[in-house]
Amino acid sequence: MSSVTAGHVSPGHADHGHDDHHHATPTGWRRWLFATNHKDIGTMYLIFSFVMLLEGGTLALLLRTELFEPGLQFFRPELFNQFTTMHGLIMVFGAIMPAFVGFANWMVPLQIGASDMAFARMNNFSFWLLPVGGIMLTASFFVPGGATAAGWTLYAPLSLQMGPGMDLAIFTMHILGASSIMGAINIIVTILNMRAPGMTLMKMPLFCWTWLITAFLLIAVLPVLAAAITMLLTDRHFGTGFFNAAMGGDPVLYQHVFWFFGHPEVYIMILPAFGIVSAIVPAFARKKLFGYASMVYATASIAVLSFIVWAHHMFSTGMPVTAQLYFMYATMLISIPTGVKVFNWIATMWKGSMTFETPMLFAVGFIFVFTMGGFTGLILSVAPIDIQVHDTYYVVAHFHYVLVAGSLFALFAGTYYWLPKWTGYMYSEKLGKLHFWSSLISFNVTFFPMHFLGLAGMPRRYADYAAQFTTFHQIATIGAFWFGLSQLIFLYAVLRCYARKGEPAPAKPWEGAEGLEWTVPSPAPFHTFETPPEVK
Amino acid sequence: MTPEQKRRNRTAGLVLFAVVAAIFAWVIFRGSDFLGGVAGLTGR
Repeated sequence: MSSVTAGHVSPGHADHGHDDHHHATPTGWRRWLFATNHKDIGTMYLIFSFVMLLEGGTLALLLRTELFEPGLQFFRPELFNQFTTMHGLIMVFGAIMPAFVGFANWMVPLQIGASDMAFARMNNFSFWLLPVGGIMLTASFFVPGGATAAGWTLYAPLSLQMGPGMDLAIFTMHILGASSIMGAINIIVTILNMRAPGMTLMKMPLFCWTWLITAFLLIAVLPVLAAAITMLLTDRHFGTGFFNAAMGGDPVLYQHVFWFFGHPEVYIMILPAFGIVSAIVPAFARKKLFGYASMVYATASIAVLSFIVWAHHMFSTGMPVTAQLYFMYATMLISIPTGVKVFNWIATMWKGSMTFETPMLFAVGFIFVFTMGGFTGLILSVAPIDIQVHDTYYVVAHFHYVLVAGSLFALFAGTYYWLPKWTGYMYSEKLGKLHFWSSLISFNVTFFPMHFLGLAGMPRRYADYAAQFTTFHQIATIGAFWFGLSQLIFLYAVLRCYARKGEPAPAKPWEGAEGLEWTVPSPAPFHTFETPPEVK
Repeated sequence: MTPEQKRRNRTAGLVLFAVVAAIFAWVIFRGSDFLGGVAGLTGR
């Protein structure tokens, strides 16, 4: 990791000779609509993603309300399917992905000593595509036939048969995908071309490394998704038959193309989380990260392996046994670099002078609960078991352990860790700890019973169920409402900082923290590192 | 940002956009066959 010799440059100390920034801080609505500053755009990404998290969370609570008792209480099955689909699409493309891009916008330039992102105007365009997509997706509930109900994977042939809500979903995913591609290009070019002198690649903080690799994954697989849904669109409206069996096409082919995007997408949503945790664990263990180089190589290995395991999502489609064996063993391989990371975090903590402020609690919680999700993933990689539990609540439990206790907990950890830098104020430790324990317990109350529901045969995406599943569904529903309400604590804790309530934050609020971001004042000035710092 | 840095950024950005466009086209025209063939789908 790097050490810094020349610290920050405060606003107004710019090198005017070769800089095209406007040095006055813009005000009012123009500041946000025409934003080109990476910090402002990062903030907008984070606000957008939290709004979408609330929308997706509300849909989840509507699902859980219906599932509190067997039989149909509140919603028709068609509407229930729309809620399920939209919950998935909103959480994946509207909440988790933009949240990590928000973190990248805020932290990557600060961590590598760059004055801003490489393409500031494209950064603005990337962001403003998101509300357009978000509004369009939400509006699809109100078109004839309602929103798409084909599941977040939009599998053919169902997706070929739906109403205009499906077209809006396809268009939305094109827009959000274009936004992510531009964001990824921006991050790659920023990291490769704009690092401060002395900041070699192997001195970069792990968060930048994980984002660099994630950005390459995005570049590689989002065009695949775009192509898949374009083929859906042409099948729906322009007479092609890629996925239409009646025209010689094959619906299973859609699954192959989708999951060639979809599995790397899983790592797109978790690698930056690894980067955040790799920043926090050393800071609160007051030790250097154990095995920095192996963490970089493990991240790259996970990214490479993610391209060759896609069909483990499709064991039940009737693929040849040899293909099943290959995808089963290839998937198991991923546990090796993932294990390297988990062991490195534990080794970092070993004999460290640990304290458990809220970011560390969320990071340790992440390691514990994400590892459980990883293990159930390993179980699902075994083809004969997967065929038994395919499309059951076991799978729902597995991916929520990875995406909620994994990605979302890391996002919370990162928010509490860098919030003093963003706002200039310390959050309330009491609120943070309450948020953590309430979230951790309610998360497990919600999702742990789902493993047993799945093993007992409860299928996912069903509005009704047999009476023997009632108790576990009721526990899950109570946990879901508890988890949802817990997030209001988070909202309050963050808003308090923006309302300037709490202790003013010093430049480096965490004793063990390392990196260039802690050399600038808190809150970080509008312009930073206009004269690049020297890194030894 | 120096003019040299701007030039390098623009070049890198254009190369990455070209990669995105190439992957998109490849999936539509060739990739479906490839992905289907790898997993044992016949007749393609």
